[in-house]
Amino acid sequence: MNCQEWEERIALYAAGDTGAADAGETERHIAGCAECRVFWSGMKQSLEWLREAHQEEIAPAHYAAVRARVMAQLERGRAPWWKQVWVYGVGMAAAVTVAAMTMAVRPHANVPPSAAVKPAGVAIAADAGRGAGRRPGGLPHYGPGRRHRLLHHQPETLLVKLETDNPDVVIYWIAEKKGD
Amino acid sequence: MGRIKTLALLEMAAAVENSDNRARTIAAANAGELAAFESLMRQHERLVLVTAVRLLGKLEDAQDASQEVFLRLYRNLGKIDAVENVPGWLYRITVNVCHDMTRKRPASVAMETLPELAASGADPQQSATQRERRRALQMSLRFLSEKERAAMVLRDLEGLSTEEVARVLGSSEATVRSQISKARIKVRAFLERYFRSKI
Repeated sequence: MNCQEWEERIALYAAGDTGAADAGETERHIAGCAECRVFWSGMKQSLEWLREAHQEEIAPAHYAAVRARVMAQLERGRAPWWKQVWVYGVGMAAAVTVAAMTMAVRPHANVPPSAAVKPAGVAIAADAGRGAGRRPGGLPHYGPGRRHRLLHHQPETLLVKLETDNPDVVIYWIAEKKGD
Repeated sequence: MGRIKTLALLEMAAAVENSDNRARTIAAANAGELAAFESLMRQHERLVLVTAVRLLGKLEDAQDASQEVFLRLYRNLGKIDAVENVPGWLYRITVNVCHDMTRKRPASVAMETLPELAASGADPQQSATQRERRRALQMSLRFLSEKERAAMVLRDLEGLSTEEVARVLGSSEATVRSQISKARIKVRAFLERYFRSKI
């Protein structure tokens, strides 16, 4: 084994990372080899400097800064329900609005013939009494002009993106507008 | 003799009580008590920030790394089996986060850190020498591979045993010993060249 091969063992020996047998062998080699003695002494010196250089304590303010940042982030993620509920409220409102718009665009698509839903005479009379704009059976009634306009609508996709103050919460609502 | 036995028993009781307290703190933090989590952070902040400074060489980067480590701790509290595992877990995550940051960010010279960590009140000449040494050492650590640097920091600066370092780095003890010896040889060679060139 030449001296270069001894270097790895000396590097471990310098900080007590060798077994007893290896340590004894390394000690004997160092005692008899001037070059390895120099290497060993330099190794001990550099380890000592390394430890010395890292002895200084970090100022408490630096720990406090980290703590404050972590706590702020955790608290942001755990806002009370009354601070978070508006996000879901707005989301629900948007969903309802989009649903209503979709229904408005295709009001007659799923409406069975009026004869089929027409309730008994008493109910018709009751509905008629509630004023214009309502169909018998509670169905919305659109005037002829409105219906004409809707019938000529081209199919298109409606995408609603709702951004909130919280960058992690973005609400998308995708709906397809269809004519009759 | 009887007094020594009593002291030993008291020490054992204190250790058990500390362990119980720590377990309670972890359980409370896991249940969502932020005050308990803050207390847990205080117990381990030195371990995380100092290791990160040693790995990254720059305080600001180390603070960013520490923040990420503690946020991961918060998210994973339920997955850490025992109280004894927390420091080991933190060392592992700190090393991983620092490695990620090193890969993402361009290497920066760590000079900014030095004044903040410099010893105060010392003889100016001595301080200058210490600063110079520290600078050389910081630079020498940059020439090590990620694994070598981590092994050396954990073994030579954090004082973990080779077995513990192996566990943290997920390597065998033989691999860690090889990494440590290579790292020490490189640091020594760098310092020799650095100070020879300064003379």
